[in-house]
Parts: sequence; structure tokens; C-alpha cells
Amino acid sequence: MPRLSHIAGWLLASLLLAIAGGVQAQSAVQQQQQQQGIDQPGNNAPVWREVRKEAQEHYTTVKGRETGVLVQSAGETWRQIRNGPVTFYGGWLVVLAVLVIAAIYFAMGPVKLHDKPTGRIIERFTLAERWAHWVMGISFVVLGITGLIILFGKFVLLPVIGYTLFSWLTALSKNLHNFVAPLFAVSLLIFILMYAKDNLMKSYDFSWFAKAPGFFASKHIPSGRFNGGEKVWFWGGVVVLSLALVGSGAVLLFPNFDQVRSTMQQASVIHMITGLLVIAAAIGHIYMGTIGVDGAYQAMRDGVVDETWAKEHHEYWYDEVKSGAKRAAGGAVPAGAPHMKEKQ
Amino acid sequence: MARMKFLVDAERCIECNGCVTACKNENEVPWGVNRRRVVTINDGVIGAEKSISVACMHCSDAPCMAVCPVDCFYRTDDGVVLHDKDLCIGCGYCFYACPFGAPQFPQAGAFGLRGKMDKCTFCAGGPEADRSDAEFKKYGRNRLAEGKLPACAEMCSTKALLGGDGDVIADIYRERVVRRGKGSEVWGWGTAYGPGKAGAAAGGKS
Repeated sequence: MPRLSHIAGWLLASLLLAIAGGVQAQSAVQQQQQQQGIDQPGNNAPVWREVRKEAQEHYTTVKGRETGVLVQSAGETWRQIRNGPVTFYGGWLVVLAVLVIAAIYFAMGPVKLHDKPTGRIIERFTLAERWAHWVMGISFVVLGITGLIILFGKFVLLPVIGYTLFSWLTALSKNLHNFVAPLFAVSLLIFILMYAKDNLMKSYDFSWFAKAPGFFASKHIPSGRFNGGEKVWFWGGVVVLSLALVGSGAVLLFPNFDQVRSTMQQASVIHMITGLLVIAAAIGHIYMGTIGVDGAYQAMRDGVVDETWAKEHHEYWYDEVKSGAKRAAGGAVPAGAPHMKEKQ
Repeated sequence: MARMKFLVDAERCIECNGCVTACKNENEVPWGVNRRRVVTINDGVIGAEKSISVACMHCSDAPCMAVCPVDCFYRTDDGVVLHDKDLCIGCGYCFYACPFGAPQFPQAGAFGLRGKMDKCTFCAGGPEADRSDAEFKKYGRNRLAEGKLPACAEMCSTKALLGGDGDVIADIYRERVVRRGKGSEVWGWGTAYGPGKAGAAAGGKS
């Protein structure tokens, strides 16, 4: 087959030429600089320009990730962002969130029911929904606390408990953070899939926002299964911020994939900013889910709420369930509904 | 008190990697870690090739020290930046921040398992008692405590790599620059010791 090998030879030759052309075009500037170095041996400026190029790899016998880089200035940028605005504003944001919540609690107290409980209960969350919530929620709290220790412990705990104890605590925090993270990621995805449908924005949610300030004053604002505030928390805090948190965390969690430093620096900044925002918001959510709203914690613990609670907090959802238009998940039906089935 | 610094003369370095070998041998450095490495710019281009030996520069305002969440770094009276491996949690932040790629980890495992950070100690050991077995195992030889300078610089066959009191090595370098009439740039000094510091020859660009 002389013809075939002939053609193959031509193809190979033209391919090599094309590759060579590409490389030549790429390194034209570099070659110019190199030539300048040869023409003007006393002028080292081109060499140092080459050195200062960010993440420029040169030759080295030491094999490894970025060993050929002489200077990476991005590290200093990362340091300035982390030790500067992230630590300062992030720290005060968390403190502020606690203060605002404390102020609301002491000024207005928890949101209570107006009418007496009827004693009749409606299923609000199925067992699967509660599991998804609590696995995500508990792993989030572990991640949040350990993350805060890693970022702020140096300023808050270290002066109090000393170097040795703080190092143990931070090593424990780091390992807890790294090994609980996958649990959070998986439960987050399951949670989003389970809760997305009932968190879709409805027209009445916008009138909810208009009346939202009255929420803490125990004003009655009708809403669906989830109110406007809960939906914002779901889409903003859980979907957008937490997914960004998980994505950036994954980059940092697996340094074995040979990602370069700049990738990890960027991921780290995204991780810290989104993490602090979610923590600040979660402080509000945890307050309202525990001592802030009477009956809210029981709803997520036992999965059921009293009819009065349902009516006063989520009237449209109550109406739907009551009319039988929407069967409560799990088959539970409130008293007085077309299909009588009461829980004790 | 002396302020210990490293100085690399790119006009003299012949990329023999003697400093790398000397360091590994002297300090019995863990597998996978090279506290010092030689990087060559324009490799193979006659006239334009320059080699530079890189390790921890023991910066004046050390980024590793600034970002460490457990504050395990400290500076000796000689200006040497050291760290305490007993406190290190292996988070990798020093490795993100360092401009020279000095902090390294024995592992890069999944779930952030990196092990304890290791870096050049300027042959000054660690927080343990000087020249103790514990110090040697964790950090390598404490040559400074023996009245010697870092092994890499001492072993350098062309004296391209100088390690010692910043004022003394800057004087040696300045004399060289005057004699040969070129190559006044002191690599890494601007980054490590700040701009316009005494001793840095003109044009300390990098």
C-alpha cells in the first residue's frame, strides 16, 4: 500500500507543521524577550518580567504542582481579602445577626397563637421531609460552628484557652468540617428536591412581603404551606448560597486533584463569603424555628401542627388541606375534612 | 542581632541542584517535600537562561504567619520564620498565601488530609530544645544553634546562593554587581523584605 502510506506521511507532516506554527505564534513574544536578553546581556528586565508573570511555569527538576512558579502574587491578594474584609465584615455580620435576633426576642417576644389550640392536628412534614431537614440542619450547624472556629478562633478562643488546647480544637474542627461536609452536600440536594415544589413563589407571597414587618408582632399574614420569608430563605439561603458553598467547598476538600493555588484561593473566598452569609441567615431561621415562633419546632420535630397554628400561620395551606384539595403528605387528613382520619 | 536572609545571584547559579540535595540530606526532609528547588527561566536558550534557587525567604511580613488559623508560626530573634508542627492542623492556608511556594505537605489527600506542613527552617530547627532528637525528627538540623549557616548556601559551589545576615550578604552582592557591572536585581527581596529596604541593590523588582 504505497499510496496510503504516502498520504499518511503528508497528513502527518502537515499536522506537525500546524502544531509548530501554533507554538511559534504563542511564544513569539517570549522569544522576542529571550532575544533581547541575548542582545543586551546587561539588561535583565525581560527576565524579571517573565518571572513576575502570574503563575508562569518555568523549568525545574522538582516535579509537582506549580513547582516551576517562582512568585505567585495572588497569595497576597487572597491574604488581604481573607484577613481584611472577610474576617472584619464577616465577623461583625454574625455578631450583628445575633444582636438583631436578641433585640427582636426581648422587644417583642415569641410569636404566639391568638386562639386556643383545637387539639386537632394536621400533618405538616412527612418523616422523610423531617429527616432531610434534620440531617441537613445538624450537619450545617456542625459545619458552621467548626468553620467559625477556623476563621475567628484565633481572635476569640486562642487568647482564652491557649495554644495547645486551641490547636486540638481546631484540628478537630477541621476534620469534622471535612468529613461532615459530604453529608451536608447529599442531604442538601435531597432537601432541595423535596421542598422545591411548595416553595415556588405565588402571587400572595408578594403581599406577604408588604406585611412582613408585622410578622414578629404576631400579626396575621396569610400564606401557603411556606410563607414569603421561608421561600426567600429556601431559594436564597438553601439553593443559591448553600450550593455555592458546597461547590466551592468541594474544590478545597479534594486537593488531590492537582488544582492550582489560584483556583483554591478563589474557591476559599467564595466559600467564606457564602458561608458567613448563610450562617447569619441561619441564626434567624434557627431562632424562628425554636424559641421565636411557638409551635414551629414541634412542627419539624413531630411533623404535626395544631389546626389553630396552621390557620394562623399558613392560612392558604390550611384551607387547601381542610378542603381536601390538597391531601397532606403521608395521607394524614385534618379533622372535618372530607376523609375523616384523626391523629391522636 | 543579625537579620537572616537568603540571596540568590541569578548571574551565578548554574542549576546544579546542590542546594536541593544538601537540604534534603542535612534535614532528612520527608518524602515528597523539597524545601528548596531550583527554577530555570528560558531553559535551554543560550544567553537568556537564568536559574534561581527558591525556598522560604523568611519574610519580614510573612503571609503564612498572617493567615495561619492556629497561629503556629513564630519569628526568631534572627528574623527566621519557623513553625510549630505540634500546633499545625494541615489546613493548607500558608500554602495558598506564600508567594514562593515554600510551605509543603507530605500528602495531598482527599478530605483535606495533608499532614503537617513542612518548610525551610533556615537550618534553625523548631520550638523544641536546640539540637534535640525531637527537633531533628520534625524540622531537621539546627545548624544555627551550632554556629553554622544553612547547608544549602554553605554547599553552593558558585556561591550564587548566600544565606546569612542580610547586611553582610547584601554587601557581598553589591561588590559583585559593581565588579561585573550587571545583574543588580536581587530576586525575591522586594516580595520578602518589602520595597526599598536597606541592603537591597537598585532594581529589586521581584
